Amino acid sequence: MKIKFTLNGTLIEKDVPVNKRAIDFLRDDLGILSIKEGCGEGECGACTILVNGKNVHSCLMLAVELDGKEVITVEGLKDNVIQEAYVEAGAIQCGFCTPGFIISTKALLNETLNPTPEEIKEALEGNLCRCTGYVKIEKAVKLAAKMYKGSDSND
Amino acid sequence: MIKNYFRPSTIDELSELKIKTNGYLFSGGTDLFVKIRAGAINTDTVIDTKYLENEELKIENKKLFIPLNTTYTELRKFIKANQINPIIENIVKTIGSPMIRNRGTPVGNIANASPAGDFVLASYLLNASVILKPSSKKIPVEEFIKGPGKIELEKEEFIYGIELEILDDYKFYFEKVGRRNAMIISIASIGLLIKEDNEKIKDIRIAFGSVAPTILRNKEIEKSLIGEKIDKNLFKYLANEFFNLSSPITDVRASKEYRKQLVYNLTLKAYINLYEKVVI
Repeated sequence: MKIKFTLNGTLIEKDVPVNKRAIDFLRDDLGILSIKEGCGEGECGACTILVNGKNVHSCLMLAVELDGKEVITVEGLKDNVIQEAYVEAGAIQCGFCTPGFIISTKALLNETLNPTPEEIKEALEGNLCRCTGYVKIEKAVKLAAKMYKGSDSND
Repeated sequence: MIKNYFRPSTIDELSELKIKTNGYLFSGGTDLFVKIRAGAINTDTVIDTKYLENEELKIENKKLFIPLNTTYTELRKFIKANQINPIIENIVKTIGSPMIRNRGTPVGNIANASPAGDFVLASYLLNASVILKPSSKKIPVEEFIKGPGKIELEKEEFIYGIELEILDDYKFYFEKVGRRNAMIISIASIGLLIKEDNEKIKDIRIAFGSVAPTILRNKEIEKSLIGEKIDKNLFKYLANEFFNLSSPITDVRASKEYRKQLVYNLTLKAYINLYEKVVI
């Protein structure tokens, strides 16, 4: 089936098999390698992408459902603020879960730059990290919010 | 393997496709695609309902109408903006994760008819009706759901939406027991709504998830409590009644004995949290 959508700002027109998952299409056909497959069933969040500004699992979505949508992955973020905040806070170890966390962080910060600790926890509850624990990741989100607001304080 | 994918835009087109292909309807696919991948469902046709021209979320005659394709995230925003049925927010925020709530739908939860379905529990508590098309039948949810995964739907019919009561001035409590904050399928859950009149019960609704083939609610017990004084003894009585009425199974998540004990404990816990002002 022919689909047409924007991926990280670029218009894409492709013919895709109807049984192909969005994750396989984006990774294998379009080379978007930030998207990781962890569990393949919506438990881990490593495959998270932004579709029309909302974070969703690309493993639980058909490629044909991307038709007409605006898709953003880590490759297409307009700046590196969240990535830098994760590095600064030491919120990365093996890095496999990181793109998913960054996308969920972006989805949260699109809604608010003053997230409460509860809002941060809720925004990240669908992403699993088996290396770091979550304290540093939560700090990274707070830090990214601050960096977006232009403040350089770092408590 | 999926060989055919359809995007009907009208009720008749959807209905005809359903008859012709026997395909699976989906909106978010958060449940269907997991089942297809696990081999629990084998279908060559899926029907995407998201292109259907359907109505919007709306409030009419003290009822909340939730059409198919409305996601949990959209429902939460609507509930908050209109300040109605705060228990729905408490229940919906525990469903899945942000990614699931951005795709998954209340109508899909009803269609799955799991006794662990959190939105199914909400719909029982709020005396929901299920609206079918093209027939335009309106069926109370407890009649529509016949058992685990069993619903009353003719070959040509599909769930068009659900209608819930809007309740004012009710105290409420919801808790589900599971092993992680996100993505949990409940081991057992309780939802409670109480309207008071001078420390006595004016209306009470109590429902349990995952402890019987369908959501457990008993309107006769509820009716018999109208006018009763609200105290711990009353909740001990309720805890006992529902302990006896529950008929859970043992599965990978928990044993039936544990689930029965949860029914008892959660009932008392609801009372303590609501009335003794001690949060446990």
